[in-house]
Amino acid sequence: MTMVKQFFKNFFLVELLKGLRVTGGQLISKKITVQYPDEKTPKSPRFRGLHALRRYANGEERCIACKLCEAVCPALAITIDSTEREDGTRRTTRYDVDLFKCIYCGFCEEACPVDSIVLTDIHEFHFEEKGMNVIDKVKLLEIGDKYERDIASARHKDAPYR
Amino acid sequence: MATIEIDGKSLEVENGTMIIKAADEAGIYIPRFCYHEKLSIAANCRMCMVDIEKAPKPMPACATPVADGMKISTLSERAVEAQKGTMEFLLINHPLDCPICDQGGECPLQDQALGYGKDVSRFTEKKRVVEDKDIGPLIATAMTRCIHCTRCVRFGQEVAGIMEMGGTGRGEHMEITTFLGGSIDSEVSGNMIDLCPVGALTSKPYRYSARSWELQNHDAVSPHDCVGANLHIQTLRNEVKRIVPRDNSAVNECWISDRDRFGYEAVNSPERLTQPMLKSGDHWEVTDWKTAFSKVVQGLQTEINSAGPEGVAALISPLATNEEGYLFQKLLRSMDCDNIDHRLRQVDFLADSQQNLYSGAELPLEKLSTISSVLLVGSNIRKEQPLLGLKLRAASLGGSKIYAINSLDYHFNFKLDGALIVEPSTVPAALAGVALDVSRIVGTDLPEQFSAWAQLGGNRDVYSDIAEVLVADSAESLIILGDSCRQHPHYSVILAISNWIREVCGVKRIDLHEANGVGLTQNGCVPKNSENNALNLVSNPRSAYLLYGLDCVEDSIYGNVLEDSLKKANFVVSFSAFKSESMNHADVVLPITPYTECSGHFTNVEGMTQRSNAAALPRGEARPGWKVLRVLANQLSLSGFDFVDLNDVNSEMENTISEKPFEYPHDIEITLPDKHNGQDSNKLFHRIMDVPIYRVDPLVRRATALQKTADNSIRPIAGLNVEQAREFTLRDGTLMNVVTPEGNGISIQVQADNRVPVNCIYIPAGYIETAPLGVATHLTLEEV
Amino acid sequence: MLSDELISKINKEKTKYPIARAAVKSALRYAQEEHGWISEEVVRDVAEVLNLETIQVFEIATFYDLFYTEPVGKYQLRVCTNVSCMLRDSDSVVSHIQKKLDIKTGETTADGKFTLFEVECLGACGGAPMMMVGNEFYENLEPDTIDSIIEKLGASE
Repeated sequence: MTMVKQFFKNFFLVELLKGLRVTGGQLISKKITVQYPDEKTPKSPRFRGLHALRRYANGEERCIACKLCEAVCPALAITIDSTEREDGTRRTTRYDVDLFKCIYCGFCEEACPVDSIVLTDIHEFHFEEKGMNVIDKVKLLEIGDKYERDIASARHKDAPYR
Repeated sequence: MATIEIDGKSLEVENGTMIIKAADEAGIYIPRFCYHEKLSIAANCRMCMVDIEKAPKPMPACATPVADGMKISTLSERAVEAQKGTMEFLLINHPLDCPICDQGGECPLQDQALGYGKDVSRFTEKKRVVEDKDIGPLIATAMTRCIHCTRCVRFGQEVAGIMEMGGTGRGEHMEITTFLGGSIDSEVSGNMIDLCPVGALTSKPYRYSARSWELQNHDAVSPHDCVGANLHIQTLRNEVKRIVPRDNSAVNECWISDRDRFGYEAVNSPERLTQPMLKSGDHWEVTDWKTAFSKVVQGLQTEINSAGPEGVAALISPLATNEEGYLFQKLLRSMDCDNIDHRLRQVDFLADSQQNLYSGAELPLEKLSTISSVLLVGSNIRKEQPLLGLKLRAASLGGSKIYAINSLDYHFNFKLDGALIVEPSTVPAALAGVALDVSRIVGTDLPEQFSAWAQLGGNRDVYSDIAEVLVADSAESLIILGDSCRQHPHYSVILAISNWIREVCGVKRIDLHEANGVGLTQNGCVPKNSENNALNLVSNPRSAYLLYGLDCVEDSIYGNVLEDSLKKANFVVSFSAFKSESMNHADVVLPITPYTECSGHFTNVEGMTQRSNAAALPRGEARPGWKVLRVLANQLSLSGFDFVDLNDVNSEMENTISEKPFEYPHDIEITLPDKHNGQDSNKLFHRIMDVPIYRVDPLVRRATALQKTADNSIRPIAGLNVEQAREFTLRDGTLMNVVTPEGNGISIQVQADNRVPVNCIYIPAGYIETAPLGVATHLTLEEV
Repeated sequence: MLSDELISKINKEKTKYPIARAAVKSALRYAQEEHGWISEEVVRDVAEVLNLETIQVFEIATFYDLFYTEPVGKYQLRVCTNVSCMLRDSDSVVSHIQKKLDIKTGETTADGKFTLFEVECLGACGGAPMMMVGNEFYENLEPDTIDSIIEKLGASE
């Protein structure tokens, strides 16, 4: 009986057709290949890319120079100098991130008590000159200002899971 | 002895010991905030609760003495519950601002909240807020963080001797504050920063500039006074961020003075010299070391060829390390020149010829706090040597008797059992008066040469009081000679009389030095021939001067004489860490490093030599002094300067110093008192001089926070006896002309000063403004 | 600042105790009797007489409610607002006085006569609502009795 079954299976090319069904199905199904850079895959709100320093809504920088990010950074990529600003608050005078050293672990963001340093979802960046790998406070704040809406919405989306 | 058991560990401890102390000694940690080994027991933080068997409730370990058979548990459920409860209460009003708090990372509250606290707080009500106070330029406050442990209050009351902080109000409204928000003016106030277990009191100059975990510790020794306090210099990325004490029970215990703590600010000041400079015409040109050295060599050789080695004079700051001093004098002596001195605040060098190289303390400084009686002569010890002042306060609280013979009625932080405030010229006479009474008690005749002085001293009851006390327990008695003695025109007389007292009744003596004076004396920074002393080197102009680490006018008491000599000299080299007015007279300036960037040894007044390590790399092109001197000697083709590192210098030094037992001058011919004392002329005032605490050396003069304290005034202010000020109808701050008999004068702000005796005027040294007066002992006073 | 009589009183107090600090409370009480309240100068002077630091005296002056570190009126109206009095409507007593004198609790009238305080139980619950003026208790207060008390005190010199 088994042999008979096997004969018919072979005779009618059942296995082949089964295979072709998958092929045919893929032929007409929706493609997952994206035409990067014209098309991009969606990213998780937890994506860890380029760093940014955020501000409060009133324009005040969030960073209070507590140096916890510097302390927690496993790659020693962050360098901070701090001082007392004229109004008596604690502020950084220097906030450098060395993007060559950074391993994008996100510990700095975890450590930050004021949600100042964040990792944005920007992952497409390059350097053309030596030394450009170190981004300073001005640059970090600029990134923060420019992408604040994206940063805030990503944080908002992730909030229920934290 | 009592046998107790802590956490199952059996211990033998002295009866009456508090549990917390017994536990500390056994290495069992009990959490605490208010308890501090050096302060009294307050038991008000309640954090050190432990469980004692058979006790109905947990007991505070800091205030419970041990009893035989006591079984203590620091880990039982009841103890842990008590600790957690206390911590929850402490945190009720404590703000959670650790990220911006300077104490963060070295905070006992933070650590103990983690170790002994609960993980959540049940407190949902509003927290209490306390306004911050401005209590001066040294201490920053954030009083909301205060947990009322009262360590700062007790420190002021018990250790520093002026209670400036106190707890006002009660319960929820209790605040730790000064009276009406006044400033804290103690010379050891910085210790409150260390004592504060939270971030309520933090260092103002250090504020927000670094985090404790990123600082690197370097063991150093304070150069500012002759105590040699042990320090930790803390640096971040090669910059000195702050200085904290390093415990050393033999020297500074766990305290340091504000001068030691905040003097570092000078090191980061914009006045630092970072490159060798040459004078060309009337402006300065930056150059390299090679050119600078060749210029120095050329200049020195020219002067030596024309004026001989005696034409060169070398003056060194007492702040220099032993190694620098040794190499400096070796360099001079290799050129056959003996003209070297560091004692720019001494006038009378007559004792030199007899004096042994080393005169300092005859007893360990540690013993000072248990000494039974002390006679202070010409010393404001509290401001000159703040840490010795603390020791004397401890002695005074322990019941020792302290007397003072001074020209200013200084406010000490200990009780004086008797004070004799006389015009400066009478200080030796007053000491002779004491000597006379000592001679009566011990039955030895007073040497004839002292009698003239004793006569001048007159007859006062306090003499016999002092003499009796000194003789009564002579082995535990002490005479301290302070800075005013050293600056006194009859220093040799004071030395001789005090020495005679010491010999006949066996009291001990401490001859306080400036900074590293003992080390420099031991290492040859004094002339072998007393004729070549600092005063002579300065008042008889030489053709070349080597100045080491000096700001000239402020660092000597000779006033403008030194400046005039420098102007007359053909060639002046200044080794200095800072730009200063002395540069104006120099031809070459060689940048050396201050003690934070230069390793070396300092010898304190007790004769204890301690190593101080460089904490940071030299700034710019500046180099440690000993290296500069070594290379300069090589450039001058002098032999014996082939040192590779500091240890080489050290081992050579050790072979050259020969320590001899104490030998004090006593058979020297002493000068007799001046007949003409200015008494006949009403117009002449005795000048009282001292160097204020924050004017003593180039470092503190550039430490910005110290300069803003109440102990310092930016411009000198003269003090006049209150009665006489009234005669002049003086309002505070009136300008008056003060003129020396030679006709040099200045105008200076004068105010009534209740410390000043009649016919005297107090004018501080250490200021450019008062330099024209020089060492004049008598002055006339005119209204502007 | 301090009268000679006061200084001698303080000095007498001083002899009663082994340490001068113990005499601060009595010294301040006498000083307050003389000056009405404990001003900065009073603290300084008392500290000088007792040879203490100013802050040591100030600590005690601020610890006790009945030492006034700010000027108060000649009469201090202490209205009890603790449970028993509250149940007997002490709130309306307070508001009545406030309205009558035109001051808030803790304030002093412009003529310097009255200061109003709310205090805790004074142990006269049987006569609630009550208030204390000087050493006198006034019980079972009603608007018109309050008015008469205030008028009587206000008229006296």
